[in-house]
Amino acid sequence: MIEVRNLTKRYGATTAVAGLDFRVEPGRVTGFLGPNGAGKSTTLRMVLGLDRPTAGEALVHGRPYAALEAPLRRVGALLDAHAVHGGRTARGHLRWLAASNGLPRRRIEEVLEQVGLAEAADRRIRGFSLGMRQRLGVAAALLGDPPVLLLDEPVNGLDPEGIRWIRTLLRGLAGEGRAVLVSSHLMAEMALTADHLVVVGRGRLLADLSTEAFLAQHGRARVRVRAVDPLKLADLLRTSGTAARPVEGGAWEVSGAAPEEIGALAARHGVALYELSLLQDSLEEAFMRMTADAVEYRAVAA
Amino acid sequence: MSAALALRAEWAKFTTLRSQWITPLLAVLLTTGITAAVQAAYGRVDTSLEDDPAGGIYYGLLFGHVAVVCSGVLLVGQEYASGTVRASLAAVPRRGRFYAGKLLLGTGVGLVVGLLSVAGTHLATAATVGLDLGQPGAGRSVVAGVLYHPLLLVICLGATAMLRNLTAAMGLLTPAVFLGTTFLTALPGVREAAYFLPDRAGLYAMNYRADPAVPYGHWTGLLVMALWAAAAAWGGLVSLQRHDA
Repeated sequence: MIEVRNLTKRYGATTAVAGLDFRVEPGRVTGFLGPNGAGKSTTLRMVLGLDRPTAGEALVHGRPYAALEAPLRRVGALLDAHAVHGGRTARGHLRWLAASNGLPRRRIEEVLEQVGLAEAADRRIRGFSLGMRQRLGVAAALLGDPPVLLLDEPVNGLDPEGIRWIRTLLRGLAGEGRAVLVSSHLMAEMALTADHLVVVGRGRLLADLSTEAFLAQHGRARVRVRAVDPLKLADLLRTSGTAARPVEGGAWEVSGAAPEEIGALAARHGVALYELSLLQDSLEEAFMRMTADAVEYRAVAA
Repeated sequence: MSAALALRAEWAKFTTLRSQWITPLLAVLLTTGITAAVQAAYGRVDTSLEDDPAGGIYYGLLFGHVAVVCSGVLLVGQEYASGTVRASLAAVPRRGRFYAGKLLLGTGVGLVVGLLSVAGTHLATAATVGLDLGQPGAGRSVVAGVLYHPLLLVICLGATAMLRNLTAAMGLLTPAVFLGTTFLTALPGVREAAYFLPDRAGLYAMNYRADPAVPYGHWTGLLVMALWAAAAAWGGLVSLQRHDA
């Protein structure tokens, strides 16, 4: 379990993380979402005690990370798959990690097997593909069989097969009752992986809710309607005071109403409809809209 | 117990990375090999009675200690160059403990290199020009020769922890030890101050005879070097605790 309370990090005049509050509960995958530069990695580094917060605190199992004895048995982390020495073999890398926390040697073989690197265990990491490095990073995180896992952008640069593997693995780990926090800037990916979402933008908390609730709240529903007589429909929508806007092909999009209401309204006034459908924003669109004000680096139209 | 684990982690890092254990090995081979070669070739013909025997015995050290410097720089610098330092500190989050592991390993590696190099150079000297360990200063020279290695290694390890950058540390320390102090002692104005540089002081402690130009005694030379090592080790710790990883 991870608790982040009023966590703040400032670098001079720049505020990377501004008073974050959230919890990562066991038994589910928590997606830590935000555009690039939102402060996700900084937050994770503070949770791991690598960066010192300007204010606030991050607790793991109720204590600061640095106070944990044998922390790899309590928390497994994948920060940057490239931050390994290329001259070591996969097994050599895991060997020093195991030694640092007094973990049994058999764990090295177990995690190598689990992530599918058993064959490559004695090859130097420098020759690994990004996918293999990510797998090694996951192996390192799993080494101490920890109840809490933190993974920073684990699907970055992976092929579809690798992405599916990570997704299945994370769901499985949460299914075993572990607390899994996984950061990403890919909303669609998180919709498939995460049970719960913590959304940040410019270091601020924008949302902390279940994936379903996020969709219901932010994936604004609209009704698309098209009639035999478009002018009659336009009149009807205008006089009934619904918020509607015309779209291409003579159709209208009505927001803030259910298809049932529109259908009944049309029937009462004798307007024959060709089409009546519910449109749900994708998670990606909801995310874009939500973080639109909080994106630090945006392409500016010339 | 956890400090022991930190040391075991450092030992595992050392043994799983070729450049880390080859460098100290190279130091032993360079020091011993060059001493042996020079003693065999010139020792008997070129040595007069007035010469300090330490000059011949430790001739190879002038080359070997560059590898000792590299070894100290690599122990810390490779963590920063590869980014492994974050994984290290996630595994051993108490920075003092992590750093103690590094220092202990560095000191140990330095001692082993010192013992092997001193044994090697003395054996090579005994086999070529002959060696009289009963001479005044010989015992001290052996002790100083052994201790010079861990002290130099710790100085470089600490300085690299202060710089937190492999390339900067390599670029600064290697020429400083190999060339810098030799040049400095040749300059009249700074000569006095240059005697207090760590490698000068440490090398002087190995000499059999006294040099009237040097403003301190042999044992004091070793102490001067030890003070440098303590300062560098402390500076590295402060830097590690102060900075975000």
